[in-house]
Amino acid sequence: MTNGWIDIKNTDMMLIMGGNPAENHPCGFKWAIEAKLHRNAKTIVVDPRLTRTAATADMYLQIRAGADIAFLGGLIHYAIQNNRIAHDYLVNYTNAAFIIKDGFKLPDDGLYSGFDAEKQVYDKATWNYEEGGDLAGKPVMPTPAAQQEQAAHAKGSDTGQGQGLQGAGPAGAKGGAAAVPLLPPKTAYDLTLQHPRCVFQLLKKQYERYTPEMVERITGIPRDQFLKAVDLFTSVRKDGDMTKVATIIYAVGWTQHSFGTQIIRAAAMIQLLMGNIGRAGGGVNALRGHSNIQGATDMAGIFDNLPGYLKMPSPTDTDLATYLKRITPTVAKPDPWDSFNYWSNTPKFAVSFLKAMYGPAATKENDYAFHYVPKIDRNYSWVNIWNDMYEGTVKGIFAFGMNGVMIGPDSEKNINALKKADWLVVCEIYPDETSEFWQAPGISTDEMKQINTTVYRLPGAGFAEKDGTFVNSARWLQWKNVALPPPGQCKLDQEILATIFLKVRELYQKDGGKFPDPILNASFAYTNPYSPSLSEVAKEINGKATADITDPKTNTTIKAGQQLPSFAWLKDDGTTSSGNWLYCGSWTEAGAMTQRRGTEDPSGLGVYPNWAWSWPLNRRVLYNRASCDVEGKPWDATRRQVWWDESKNSWAGVDVPDFKADSPPKDHMGPFIMNPEGIGRLFVPLGAMADGPFPEFYEPIESPILNPLHPNQSTNPVVKKYKTDADKYAMPGQEFNVICTTYRLTEHYHYWTKNNPMNVQLVPEPFVEVPAELADRMGISGGEKVRVTSARGHYIAKAMVTRRIRPMKIDGKEMFQIGIPIHWGFRGIAEDEGKTARTLTNQLTPTVIDPNAFTPEFKGFLVKIEKV
Amino acid sequence: MSTAIERFDDKARDAFDRMGQNEVYEGELLRHRVYTRFLHWMVALFFFLALFTGFGIYMPWLFRWFTPIFGGGPLARAMHPWFGLGFVVFFALQMLNWIQPMTWTAADTKWIRNLRSTVSGKEKQDPPDTGFFNGGQKAQFWEIVGGSVVFLITGIILWKGARTFGCWPVAISYILHDISAVIMLGGIFIHIYLSTIGEPGTFQAMIRGAVSEAWAWTFHPAWYKEVTGRDPVQACEEARKRGQIAKQ
Amino acid sequence: MSDRKTLQIKQISGHSGPSPGFDMQRDAEVCKLIDTTICIGCKACEVACVEWNDMPFSPTTFDNTYQTMPATRWNFWNLIKFNEHQREDGTIQWLMRKDQCMHCADPGCLRACPADGAIVQYTNGIVDFQQENCIGCEYCVSGCPYDIPKFNPATKKVYKCTLCSDRVGGGLEPACIKACPTGCLKFGTKDDMKYIAEERAKQLRENFGFEKAGVYDPQSIGGTHVVYVLHDAENPERYGGLPRNPVIPWSYTVWKWLFKPVLGTFALFGLVGVLFHYVTVGPRLPQPQPPLKDSTPREKEI
Repeated sequence: MTNGWIDIKNTDMMLIMGGNPAENHPCGFKWAIEAKLHRNAKTIVVDPRLTRTAATADMYLQIRAGADIAFLGGLIHYAIQNNRIAHDYLVNYTNAAFIIKDGFKLPDDGLYSGFDAEKQVYDKATWNYEEGGDLAGKPVMPTPAAQQEQAAHAKGSDTGQGQGLQGAGPAGAKGGAAAVPLLPPKTAYDLTLQHPRCVFQLLKKQYERYTPEMVERITGIPRDQFLKAVDLFTSVRKDGDMTKVATIIYAVGWTQHSFGTQIIRAAAMIQLLMGNIGRAGGGVNALRGHSNIQGATDMAGIFDNLPGYLKMPSPTDTDLATYLKRITPTVAKPDPWDSFNYWSNTPKFAVSFLKAMYGPAATKENDYAFHYVPKIDRNYSWVNIWNDMYEGTVKGIFAFGMNGVMIGPDSEKNINALKKADWLVVCEIYPDETSEFWQAPGISTDEMKQINTTVYRLPGAGFAEKDGTFVNSARWLQWKNVALPPPGQCKLDQEILATIFLKVRELYQKDGGKFPDPILNASFAYTNPYSPSLSEVAKEINGKATADITDPKTNTTIKAGQQLPSFAWLKDDGTTSSGNWLYCGSWTEAGAMTQRRGTEDPSGLGVYPNWAWSWPLNRRVLYNRASCDVEGKPWDATRRQVWWDESKNSWAGVDVPDFKADSPPKDHMGPFIMNPEGIGRLFVPLGAMADGPFPEFYEPIESPILNPLHPNQSTNPVVKKYKTDADKYAMPGQEFNVICTTYRLTEHYHYWTKNNPMNVQLVPEPFVEVPAELADRMGISGGEKVRVTSARGHYIAKAMVTRRIRPMKIDGKEMFQIGIPIHWGFRGIAEDEGKTARTLTNQLTPTVIDPNAFTPEFKGFLVKIEKV
Repeated sequence: MSTAIERFDDKARDAFDRMGQNEVYEGELLRHRVYTRFLHWMVALFFFLALFTGFGIYMPWLFRWFTPIFGGGPLARAMHPWFGLGFVVFFALQMLNWIQPMTWTAADTKWIRNLRSTVSGKEKQDPPDTGFFNGGQKAQFWEIVGGSVVFLITGIILWKGARTFGCWPVAISYILHDISAVIMLGGIFIHIYLSTIGEPGTFQAMIRGAVSEAWAWTFHPAWYKEVTGRDPVQACEEARKRGQIAKQ
Repeated sequence: MSDRKTLQIKQISGHSGPSPGFDMQRDAEVCKLIDTTICIGCKACEVACVEWNDMPFSPTTFDNTYQTMPATRWNFWNLIKFNEHQREDGTIQWLMRKDQCMHCADPGCLRACPADGAIVQYTNGIVDFQQENCIGCEYCVSGCPYDIPKFNPATKKVYKCTLCSDRVGGGLEPACIKACPTGCLKFGTKDDMKYIAEERAKQLRENFGFEKAGVYDPQSIGGTHVVYVLHDAENPERYGGLPRNPVIPWSYTVWKWLFKPVLGTFALFGLVGVLFHYVTVGPRLPQPQPPLKDSTPREKEI
């Protein structure tokens, strides 16, 4: 979330799409209700099904699963066409005025410039700003330099500037970092937004193709409904009014597509166009589906990150300097403007991280033990690891807090992958489908005897049996206490992990090994190393001074061993350590900020500055500088978050300014301080996105039609299909002609609550939501069992015949979509009582991933349905 | 009535006579056979069980002390319909048993018309055409037949409740069930009174099965005549002349 | 009945004479407000109810809806009813209504109940079943216009929502209110809840295009201590059979206040009548009996 849960109450308009907060985030959804009750805020819900969120909405549009970019593109087109955009915001806070290199091509045929069809990757050299100055009113002609540069990069690496291994395909290891293209330090611009190659004009051209007619063909949303909805949404910018604010709320309904990241990009672009980012009641708000998924992401739950979103080193990073040079961005901006470019502090964050990892073993002389850090040569995302296991190259797996058989696409493939593994370690609180994969339905007793995987089951502890922090969607670190001790022989996660680690270390000590140093020298200085207390770990993550350090400006000193108050104190000379720079400030000398429970809210905006602690530095709304105009005055005086205080020559506010506190408005420093340009990116230059600087609508990998925009490039060109015998994909015109999407129910929590009688009582059995018209046609009545089959597997459950999903006209053809909740498997109360068919929803889903975030495409694939 | 019913009744009567016995002494007449007496007392038993459990439902504040006999209100409530069913079943058998003697005749109408003088005690003997049952007995019998039907229908509605039959049928059944019960309750006082102290000599008809000839010619002269062939008035006069006073 | 201060008895079922303590203290009427327009059907109230009242789980079966079960049960007093309503333009409105005891001002269950003290109404408006006095006759079921009281065959008694009289008596809000995440459930005095509900209905009419939005507080039963805000107050039936004009069968009034006393007396007439007959007229004896003397009493024989 750029904003936070409570902040939703400040909004005037909500677009909820790709998410179902009323069902999956009911406690957070109260703030949407607050906005309705107290601000008369309107809600538009766009979803394949009429969900419980849609039930409370002012407008509901039924969209074909996976057609989101078409809808959002249409919305952009409508906003520009009807001038429902925030002009001053656009010019000053986004790269709308930046000029893009000559040679950049929009995807009229489905491909941006630089596509390498053989490797299925883009050379992104043309996806860059042109170097230069103010081009307003200047004649337009291609620069010879640009052409040369384009040619030079045609065969170069596609590794993006400062973006690590973004765009890595499943099989693609990538080459040297030598030819990394960089952003020009001085970008050409045209503040009149008239230059044909300025971002705004390109954007306009890109989405001119997304007419209401085209949107209707692709999404199935009737034109008049679409126009009513986009008119309502953009009405907050009617007649250039800047006081009102709209928010966009989404969840995994957007991420779980083969173009998921681009959908979210489209939302961000809309919010930049309309000037809604950084403002109370605005933003692009990702709702997290687990209580601590934000924390997992911050702490490098993703393979290509180190904690705090530092890029993972690659084999070409031969030393620390090379690594830091590659991942530290340099300023790129129009010359008269200023840019904070906060990531320029990357070396401080990285060195402090290494100090936290290796303690005294990390010294200036040994590059702070940089060579201990693993270097990744290719894509190690979840799906790829399991694919490797299926292909026999991964021999064992630890499954902690993760029911791998259930959560991955194509469960059958994952079960077969586990059969090939030598060992499997599962730490869980219930017997689950992963630890019992060997007795999945369809495996006979004889087959079971052939499975040689050794399964180790470790008794874990439930969330109420552990203390520690949860980081919620609003980026708050909140400390929680233990409710009950773990029962019986169950152990805390940290105890299990520490015991394993210490045993491994002991073995390395005793027997040596190929490279024992990272293990032997890892910092593990806990009071009880066999069960480190999480408060000690939290303090370590916050970071401390390893030597006395002094800030010359304020002349304050932090003594060696003291907790650091903020990441502004981090140094790249080894005098500070911090496990995650973003969390620096969460556990200071004053104590655990995460344990604060102050309920004061002086501004009434729901900031609650003394409740827990929000990264970064307790800022509740990110980019809040953008809530003010160029002069530093709030766009809306009734929702003042931060403002320029001339008398104190500094930024002040009810929230912590997410900005350089002493940068006066006349310097024109951009509010988006994490981007080297200082502005919000409508156009994403270079390698940040694998599949295009603007979002383009592509069909899901399994789609009933060819892309009406460019039938010859129907799906995302950089998405690679997997090649094992298990990976089968349906094509348009085959027997699989029903669109299927998967989702969660409010009554259940993933694959846990099927073990809890109360939840089972609320929704006892699996079901398939089937449109009444389709059910009539198939002769299916409610409660009858149906079999849903995809190219990969089948699923059996009772039909829920409903009028909440209607037939759709897609590209002129009548089509149906159905929905399947994901919660049931082959272990659980109903399962063990024989009340279900013991099939898994993900037996249907295809193994295919988004090229940017590597998320599988669970939403929108093809099936057929029949009566059992 | 169909012969099937008669055959059933005859079989039952004979079977019960083999199990029990009818003690008829000199100067007495057999009035109720074992089967009839058995049915009568079963009807009576279930009537009172249903009545007392019913009180628990009808007016708990007044009859609160009835329900503990049956193990408390809920159990009394749960048993009541079964007792009621028992009552209806045995009474139905009794009805089959008595359908012939209970048939309404002109003599019964006459008897009812004559009710005032009977009740006031002016007429010591019943009208000479009074048969095995008099008009009053038949009236009560048919009231119970009608009442049982009401009990059965409304009882089932109340038993199964609003969930099966809806609110209104239950609400109405409520009243009808109670009215029927109250009428029967009123009738039972008269029945007990007349069969014991009100008309001495009657009770033994339902114990041993026999009544004195004097009882017979006094209260059911036509039946006396039918059984003995003698004229009841004449028989009474002869007895008076012999100075023989009827045994009470 | 834990706290006489907040739970004073106003009416007692099947009870003769005045209610003890009635009118001794001032007491505000409580009320639960359910705003169906912001209910998200999350069922937190269902769970809170089961947990607070410590009720056993009972198996359910999928029956083609999101609803937990078709109707409330003796061990499940709070049920969100899900209804799909097709508007005239063909679009679907998904209506969710939390169903539970309405705590009527004129409670049909209490009217119908024959058992002394099995149902009480407190002065704050809560209608509460006292299972120790319940005889399980289920007449309350037929008296209720909302199909709320439910019979437990094991205990042979009837159960329903208590409006958490145990919590309210202790100064807390009912469990369902506490659990509601969106604030669609509110609890307070009847006057306050009525005010909030009317304001919300006005907001829905004026700002959200629900021209028929209104408050459900049916006057045919004297109002309820649970009130709804509905998108369409003219068609409450759409919300899972909420009756537009709930009525209590008149037969209960007639029966309780007229038939019962009259019929009771009538039955006693039988007893009195025969006794009177015995001592005045005397028994009828089999004839012949000794001849009668002159029946006119002489002075000495009196």
